[in-house]
Amino acid sequence: MDVAGVLPWVLRLLLSPQVFAPVVFPGLATALVVLLTVIWAERKIAARVQMRVGPLYVTRRLGGVLQMLADGTRYMFQEFIIPVTADRVPFLFAPILALTLAIIPFAFIPSAPGFSPIKSPYSLPAALAAISAIPLSVLLMGWASNNKFAIQGAVREAFMGLAYEAVVFISALSMGVLYGTLDLEEAVARQWLPGIVLNPVAAFTFFVGMVMSAGRLPFDIVEGEQEIVAGPFVEYSGIIFGIGMGLAYLKLYSLSLLYTLLFLSGWEPLVAPLYSVYPGIAGIFLFVKAYLLMLFVAFLRSVYGRYRLDQALRAGWRVFLPLSLISLLISVVVKVVGCV
Amino acid sequence: MSTLSEQGGVIYSRLIAREGDESTYELFIGPQHPASGHMRFIVRLEGDVIVSVDPDIGYVHRTMEKLAEGREVIKSIPLLERMTIIDSHNVTLGLVRAIEKLLDVEPPPRARYLRTLLSEINRIASHLYGMGIAGIMLNHSTMFMWAFGDREVWLQLAEELTGARLTHTYSIPGGVRRDLPQGFADKAEKAVRYMERRLKDYMAVFFENPQVRARYEGVGVLKKSEASRLGIVGPNLRASGIKYDARLAEDYAAYSELEFEVPTHEEGDAMARMLVRIEEIKQSMNIIRQILRKIPDGSILADKYVRLLPPPLREQVAKTGRVKFPGIFATLKLPEGDAVSRVEMGHGEIFYHVTGNGSTKPYRLRVVTPSFRNVILFRYLAPGHRFMDFPAIYGSLDYFPPEADR
Repeated sequence: MDVAGVLPWVLRLLLSPQVFAPVVFPGLATALVVLLTVIWAERKIAARVQMRVGPLYVTRRLGGVLQMLADGTRYMFQEFIIPVTADRVPFLFAPILALTLAIIPFAFIPSAPGFSPIKSPYSLPAALAAISAIPLSVLLMGWASNNKFAIQGAVREAFMGLAYEAVVFISALSMGVLYGTLDLEEAVARQWLPGIVLNPVAAFTFFVGMVMSAGRLPFDIVEGEQEIVAGPFVEYSGIIFGIGMGLAYLKLYSLSLLYTLLFLSGWEPLVAPLYSVYPGIAGIFLFVKAYLLMLFVAFLRSVYGRYRLDQALRAGWRVFLPLSLISLLISVVVKVVGCV
Repeated sequence: MSTLSEQGGVIYSRLIAREGDESTYELFIGPQHPASGHMRFIVRLEGDVIVSVDPDIGYVHRTMEKLAEGREVIKSIPLLERMTIIDSHNVTLGLVRAIEKLLDVEPPPRARYLRTLLSEINRIASHLYGMGIAGIMLNHSTMFMWAFGDREVWLQLAEELTGARLTHTYSIPGGVRRDLPQGFADKAEKAVRYMERRLKDYMAVFFENPQVRARYEGVGVLKKSEASRLGIVGPNLRASGIKYDARLAEDYAAYSELEFEVPTHEEGDAMARMLVRIEEIKQSMNIIRQILRKIPDGSILADKYVRLLPPPLREQVAKTGRVKFPGIFATLKLPEGDAVSRVEMGHGEIFYHVTGNGSTKPYRLRVVTPSFRNVILFRYLAPGHRFMDFPAIYGSLDYFPPEADR
């Protein structure tokens, strides 16, 4: 290969779905931008409701949008302290594991027809499996910290994890039954109406499960600041604390993408001109829908406080689990009647 | 269990008997913790259920009473108002009343009305503070921001009246320091109307929110008999169904000439305690309206002291409505004897006992603050509840750590 041929080869590699989708869009780079802007938007929304000024210290003209970047920089250069009593290896390994697991779903999420890094007929359960493995690493964080508050937080994570996963999986499964496929790309193709209309119960239970799993209000029980300071992350500082904090948002981002694909007909209606330019950026519709969904979840902060652990668990097991089973039934009925 | 509950003459709560058990899990909350305030709680858990709570006070300030005994009596007013800085007029009104009883001086009617006015403004601000803290303890940041933002309205009114935002030092033996400023009535009326509108928002967003109701209803129930046995005071007592208010029991300021109700609830749970505060805010606004309508004209300082002023200064005081202290105030001699007084603060009843021995300094000065009487509730209300109920109970008690430390 001569020198002139290297550049097009690198470009082709970068723009191939296997690299572009997980690294640029909707993957890592976009996730980072989403992370920064959603936290900013959350503060802005809360500020509007709560008569606050909001972050304006950095770049007042842009509405303080750079504040998050400043915060991120601060986290980056802060010393991270490893307590002597902590178990060093798992203490450092757990956040890295959590971040890795939070990124894996992007390998299965398509952003346009035929544009996903790993094309698999089981992309939906695969993405969900990766997301639902994150609580294990959070448990590890709490356990390795060897702090009473951290262990309380870890135990809460275990409780919550069990409560929401069943709900999310069953609601996703009911959509799988409805579409007759577990492939996300196929699922979008089979939605002649958005899934939220075809099976509103599943949409509702998946949404609640999503809020629970991302630890958003009213279910941000794991890091209950008022009782257990920061829960499993209490001994973490600096950038590894930042990872712990960003984890919930990353989870929310990938779950919102899944929700959009399953219930909001994904990238449909497809913007054809964009698709013809480059298929990778055709997922903009998908992204916008997912982003609006995230904003709605962020808005819940201004309305709700925090439920008690046992109340949330009761809701998860006694209300949302039966509801998700009902949604499965609805899917079967819709399928039998032959609407899809 | 009954043998254990009264070891050494000390009454322990039902569940504390299990202290030291290997199966309990001990958490030290505070003194530096998002929800502990300036104090420490030693919480023992069995799983997620609280077995016992030991409140450990004394992390803010100490020996305030002793400090007050080392200085001229007039100087103890700004000292002791630091105890409850959010309610700083009510907290010193009792002291001023006790000193007045010792000195045998009565404030003129206008001064009494002005004291009542500031007391009620302070009470509203204090309740809003408590509600904001209760909101953030449930992680309901909207309630927190709203209550603290609206508190500002009342702080500005108080500032208008006294010249100081928080530490007013308004009442002095024999009267008050300043007269009503011009245009105050309009501003107060505007504030009252604004607050009435906001209380509706509070109800919609916070008190009628299913999530908040789930956290508050049936949580931390204080029975009527238990409340009277433990000597609980203030809204916490009234939420358990006992209609006791020092404003009715003791004739001070202008309360006997005003009409108001003392709201009570029967449930005694956290929700009832919060609702009593809301209704008290309404009553306070009612009182403010009455005062502005009925306030009599006249002097704001007792004649006994006004006569001590030189004539030009006396005219100036009458004209500007601002008291220049006569020289005698620096060295007021407390006659021999005891005086006690009780006053209703936002948190409950405060009790003062001042002993004079003929010198300028009080021989003894003792305070029993409402939060000091209510701190015992942590021990009795929390056991048996989930750990996550602890901040909910704490918030609903409207407990103010610096007040308990004196």
